[in-house]
Amino acid sequence: MSGRTPLITNTKCECGHQNPVGTVLCEACGKPLDETGNSSENLEMRYDGVARRSQRSNPNVIDLVWNFFSSVKIAIYLIVLTLLGSMLGTIFPQESTFLNIDASTYYKEQYGTAGHIYYKLGLSHTYESWWFVLLLVMIGASLVICSLDRVLPLYKALTRQKIRKHRQFLTRQKVVLVTEMGEEPEEWVGRISQPLKKRGYRVITEGGALLAEKHRFSRWGPYVIHIGLIIFLLAVLARGLPGLNMDQHLAFPQGEVTPIPDTTFYLKNEKFTVEFYTEAEMPEEFRGKKVLPKLYETKAVLYECIADCGDPTRTPQLKEVAAHDIQVNSPLSYNGLKAYQFDYDLTPVLRSVQPELKNKVTGEAYGKFKLEMKNPQRSFEAGPYTLTLKEKYMDFGLNESGQPVSKTPYPNAPAFLFLIKGPGLPADGQQYFYFPKQVDKVQFQQEGINDKLGGADRFLELEVSSMQDVDFSESTAYLNVRVDRAMPFVWIGAGIVMLGLVLGFYWQHRRIWLTVQNGELILGGHTNKNWFGFRREIVSILEKVDMVVDEKSLDNGGGQA
Amino acid sequence: MSLLDFSSDVFIAAFFLYSGSFMLFTIAIMGRKWSGRKPEEHTARWGRIAFIASSLGLLCHMAYFFTRWAGAGHIPVSNMYEFMTFLSMMVMVAFTVMFAIYRKILLGLFAVPISIIIMAYAAVFPQEVQPLIPSLKSIYLNIHVTLAALGESFFAVGFAAGLMYLLRTVNFTSKEKNDRKQQRLVEFTLFSIIVIIAFLGSVFAFRGAGYESIFVRENVTIDSPGQEDSTIERVSYKMPPIVAPYHSEIESFQPFLGMKKPLFEAPSWMNGVNAGRKFNTVIWSLLSGLILYGLIRLIIRKPLGAALHPAMDGIDADDLDEITYRAIAIGFPIFTLGALIFAMIWAQVAWGRFWGWDPKEVWALVTWLFYSAYLHLRLARGWQGRKSAWLAVLGFLVVMFTLIGVNLVIAGLHSYAGTD
Repeated sequence: MSGRTPLITNTKCECGHQNPVGTVLCEACGKPLDETGNSSENLEMRYDGVARRSQRSNPNVIDLVWNFFSSVKIAIYLIVLTLLGSMLGTIFPQESTFLNIDASTYYKEQYGTAGHIYYKLGLSHTYESWWFVLLLVMIGASLVICSLDRVLPLYKALTRQKIRKHRQFLTRQKVVLVTEMGEEPEEWVGRISQPLKKRGYRVITEGGALLAEKHRFSRWGPYVIHIGLIIFLLAVLARGLPGLNMDQHLAFPQGEVTPIPDTTFYLKNEKFTVEFYTEAEMPEEFRGKKVLPKLYETKAVLYECIADCGDPTRTPQLKEVAAHDIQVNSPLSYNGLKAYQFDYDLTPVLRSVQPELKNKVTGEAYGKFKLEMKNPQRSFEAGPYTLTLKEKYMDFGLNESGQPVSKTPYPNAPAFLFLIKGPGLPADGQQYFYFPKQVDKVQFQQEGINDKLGGADRFLELEVSSMQDVDFSESTAYLNVRVDRAMPFVWIGAGIVMLGLVLGFYWQHRRIWLTVQNGELILGGHTNKNWFGFRREIVSILEKVDMVVDEKSLDNGGGQA
Repeated sequence: MSLLDFSSDVFIAAFFLYSGSFMLFTIAIMGRKWSGRKPEEHTARWGRIAFIASSLGLLCHMAYFFTRWAGAGHIPVSNMYEFMTFLSMMVMVAFTVMFAIYRKILLGLFAVPISIIIMAYAAVFPQEVQPLIPSLKSIYLNIHVTLAALGESFFAVGFAAGLMYLLRTVNFTSKEKNDRKQQRLVEFTLFSIIVIIAFLGSVFAFRGAGYESIFVRENVTIDSPGQEDSTIERVSYKMPPIVAPYHSEIESFQPFLGMKKPLFEAPSWMNGVNAGRKFNTVIWSLLSGLILYGLIRLIIRKPLGAALHPAMDGIDADDLDEITYRAIAIGFPIFTLGALIFAMIWAQVAWGRFWGWDPKEVWALVTWLFYSAYLHLRLARGWQGRKSAWLAVLGFLVVMFTLIGVNLVIAGLHSYAGTD
């Protein structure tokens, strides 16, 4: 840390005060302890020269760990390493930016050998790698220990300051004025107290000595920042705990109440809208060349299940709890659950059809029934006939051995296998394949399959007579549904960091010590930053007691930071 | 005259006022030694005039900003052109604040040209008002972008003061090893600035001449067995192509100084369609930068650093050191609030995650870590003066990479984030 490790163990000051090991400036009178000669260098005023826990004389293991993390040098190394590590992670895109890739081949194909090495080094997931997380944890440890190591001694030092200081303490500050003084010490000190108080200083006097101090709270700024950062980092770590975090990308077809897995919530997409800017709204240069989206909006209603929730045989009872028009910058939010506009698909999705059972020879119609794509009934009545649903394929296809299978759970090519019983059919019924979509009928040859199943003399057919009997969901909205219970702590941490930054950077802790004795005035001043403004302030205060001093002459060297 | 026309007119007025102010600052500093005048009076008088000019420029600049806001219906910080014009305005705001505190005339000589260069860089990008896409429609566009730019502008002033500190303190006559190293580093920094100026010069020269060459490239991708997808990409070069895009063919080529075809092709790892064009721009900037630098050297017959050093005479080095630090100390909280905290809030509202390790986010963090290290080194390790000044110079490089480099290099060469 301070580079000046004290070698002497006798830490008793000439004023009689016994200081702990590691003290740079006597806790009582401020006399520098680590030098014997009459050096005129600026004093090391960091933490007011008090001893810190990390400066114990015989450190044990815990002390050594403490000392390691309490070092600002180590903290800076950690910051720089994190900085470099972060930079490395931006050379090629991270794996997490892709939804579906095989990382082991992707980087080689896309970026050649360099990409392959990048992947092999594990840099394709830099921010999840053990060393990066370890760096963050170490920064956290450093924040805690560095702060504790300094804030407590500093607090003690600042709350029990002595007013009369050693001459060396004063003349080796960075702001110094030594001048002749003809007036009575106490009188003069009383006189200068007024302009100091006007400037917001708290003034304490002791005979011919004076201590003026203001904005001490600014000294706590750095520690407030560090506390905020610790809360922030802990909140970020907590997000990894189970139960605090949920993140799902779900499809919500328009008009349907869709359950949100692992929750008791259901969300209905009442209407999805996508709008584009019209030609008139675009600048001339873009007309006819570019299409810019204007709005993505999902009118959503959120329901909570209040009864019959987990029971597949019963319809869950839902209660509306929230409704919101979800847009890109305006998610639906209810009790920590949030739904964000993520993507959309304008391909219509078939929801239900109402086919009619007909006699294709006579043209006689027996009756209609409603066939839902997602949760169809098991059996249907159409006139004298009964149709029992034997199999359902949402996305019909044939596997390698020629068996019918459903390729995906989405109703892209729905197909239904019925067993029909009734007059004119065999006693054990007749099988019938039904493809609601015309394209699928042709592609998969519904006629041919049914001819095989029911023989050439079969006479029944399922047909949709008009478009009114078809129900489509016009579009699908993809929403990102999230729960993040740690978020409030992330914001609290960030808020505290900000508070600390403002305290620490926009105010400065300023102290002025004065002693008048033997016809001489000695002024020493210290601030933690903005020496320029401090010197200017002292000049204007001295002007009030008719002392003219040049700003620059106060500068005892090294007056920055 | 429409609001937007008025807006671009006052913008040009601001540009000329800044340029005038820069010249006046130059007179204020360089004219000290003219015969028959008292140096301090001269600097004070001309410095005041220069500051009035720069303030008038700032007023025009603000008039541009608010009229464009009114005309467009949204805050003009939504594309590269608007952001850069805004950034240059914030640099002037930061300069004005620092000038008001420290009253150092010399600061104008270095801060004002930064603003001018950024303004000129803005003009490289398309200037039309674009309607906002849904993801940008948010109050956080106003807060996040403006605060981040303001914080970065204070870093820019810190850079200017840091560079001045170096020009003031480096011993340009010494032949000692360490001094030579410092001289070379300062010279390299100045050379980099010359390259940026040369880049702007060549962009506008070729644009003025209406230069264009076009390359096409056919991309074949195999989506599923037996199904080939081919797309044709066209790249239009606005500077004579020294380097052609990887695997491309010439559609049209406008000869330049006897050059009838590209000298070589971009290497295969520059596979993004625009990577070759950007590489070509880099080559042109370096070439013209070298020429410009060479010309200046021919005229002044000494290194740039050594030529600028006398201008710093009589300036207190400690003051420059303090200004550097103070600018960064003022900018740091603003940067944290704008570029990190409000960025996180917006990301949370728009995308549902406050942090996603996107390159832009990472580089904002890198900038923040860099200045954190700067502050720790200075406050706890006593890095002042020379080292601190170098960090301030380097820090601004990080800022600029975050703002421009990430969009152009990382996104462009690997084309995974649009730069439109």
